[in-house]
Amino acid sequence: MRNLKLASLPMYLSLVVAAVYVLLPLLSAAEFSLRQPATHNYGLKHYIWFIELPDFAHYLILSLGLALGAAALVLVLLVPTAVWLNLGGHKLRGFIEFLTLLPLVIPVVALAIGAQTSLPEFAQTNEFVLSFIYAILALPYAYRTLDTGLKAVPLKTITEAARGLGAGWMRTILQVVTPVVRSTVLSALFMTLALSLGEFTLTSLLHWDTFTTWVTTMSQSNILGAIALSVFSLVAVFVLLMLIGLFVKPASNQVSMEEN
Amino acid sequence: MQKSEATHLDRKGTPAWGALTGRLLGLLLGVAPLLVFMAVFFFWPLWSVLWASFQDNYGTFSLGNYIQVFQEPYLSAFKNSIGLGLISALTSSIPGAILAYLIESRGSERLRRLVASVSSVLANTGGVPLAFMFIAAFGMEGSATMLLKNLGVNIYAGDFTLFSFTGIVFVYTYFQIPMMVIVFSPAVHGIRREWQEAARNLGASRLQFWSNVGIPLIFPSFIASFLLLFASAFSAFATARAMSSGTIALVPLMIGNLVDGNVFVDSFNLGKALAMGMVVVSALAMIPYLIIQRRAARWQA
Repeated sequence: MRNLKLASLPMYLSLVVAAVYVLLPLLSAAEFSLRQPATHNYGLKHYIWFIELPDFAHYLILSLGLALGAAALVLVLLVPTAVWLNLGGHKLRGFIEFLTLLPLVIPVVALAIGAQTSLPEFAQTNEFVLSFIYAILALPYAYRTLDTGLKAVPLKTITEAARGLGAGWMRTILQVVTPVVRSTVLSALFMTLALSLGEFTLTSLLHWDTFTTWVTTMSQSNILGAIALSVFSLVAVFVLLMLIGLFVKPASNQVSMEEN
Repeated sequence: MQKSEATHLDRKGTPAWGALTGRLLGLLLGVAPLLVFMAVFFFWPLWSVLWASFQDNYGTFSLGNYIQVFQEPYLSAFKNSIGLGLISALTSSIPGAILAYLIESRGSERLRRLVASVSSVLANTGGVPLAFMFIAAFGMEGSATMLLKNLGVNIYAGDFTLFSFTGIVFVYTYFQIPMMVIVFSPAVHGIRREWQEAARNLGASRLQFWSNVGIPLIFPSFIASFLLLFASAFSAFATARAMSSGTIALVPLMIGNLVDGNVFVDSFNLGKALAMGMVVVSALAMIPYLIIQRRAARWQA
């Protein structure tokens, strides 16, 4: 027992270092955002400042709307694909997997320029076009999450059993498939939401304003307020992503390269 | 494969038309919409960048944009961006790999899951909030800077500034080390205890096991993870933009300046050629990454 503990010492040491490394910037930023230079006190002044700005609610709601749009697209476009491909050994499976990974290969900057050059006028004047491109950016992560989750359940066996017992396709999908895939689907949707909420590159290059780009604009007039906003949005995204962790056990390779 | 599937349900007593409509429905609902969607919002934009990058201002075919890519200041920007990718990947992959190894080999199941979920959260932080967080913490007046000063460490003693190449590498480690932990852990996890025991039973020393079995097994995964970190740092835009307001000569920032009209150039389509250059560099890293990951997944399962 004593030996075991001694062997784990390097691990615990490195965990402590890692924890300090992770928490130091976060807590420092939080401390910084609570500073009130005029009175040398701490207070929520900067937080109250941004909450009271009319733009705060406006951009927050806009960003949430766009993110929900992207999640809806993933739900409609990708979930049926992933379910269908997992129902049998399709020849198309490898092809779809390859297709959905492609957005990882292309830098977001390049896709942004492409969208700017190719999309017609009406699409460029409607901000909901962003939802569509966010959905493209989320494809690799959402598909992988769905695929790993669906592989873990014997989807084919249970649908065949349902069919064999006389259930129609509609009933099979609603009462058998849906409950089984729910947690996987939810986690793919949360992935999409988190990614869309933090999107900056594409949004700013296409000259739209969402919550993230608004924070940057704000920083030019009130840096302390912008830091408070950043702490707020980091904590909000942490909470959202931790919720994903509650729904499914973390699959490997679930990293996003977007938004760095 | 497809044929056996069409008849699969028939054997179970479902009428053939049921299986057929199922297949048709699958194709129609499952694959076609996704293909159309990707064609419109992914392939078409990329094609238009490629097409325009070969055109001059009058719409005639030209290699002029690409010739400019290989001239200053764009050549230096590519060198800087590739350098940033390599240095950032190097500084993050080694600590990340060590951490992944320590946790996978010594940690309990609960600890491993905790580290995995915290890492996946951190790997996804980034962008503008990350930049501001570091400015608040490690800027001139930052809280962490002050704290470290009180402890006797002045990070500004040298010519360090957060708004430089070094500063950006430093900030990137915040999401790149966790990214490394996530992508590299499965490889370390795949080194099965039984293999170590088998090697020991056959008379191999610990060193022999690692040099003949362990390292050769995990090396491809290390390279793959390194390539992923490289590509992520190479194409990162938001953090660098927020920190340097576009003043450091990096390709994504230059493209951003061209798109925003901050910089005037003679050729309209130069930005597209720069973007294609980024696609090529990124693909050179990401395609081997995806191939190695796929192969490694076979024995890691």
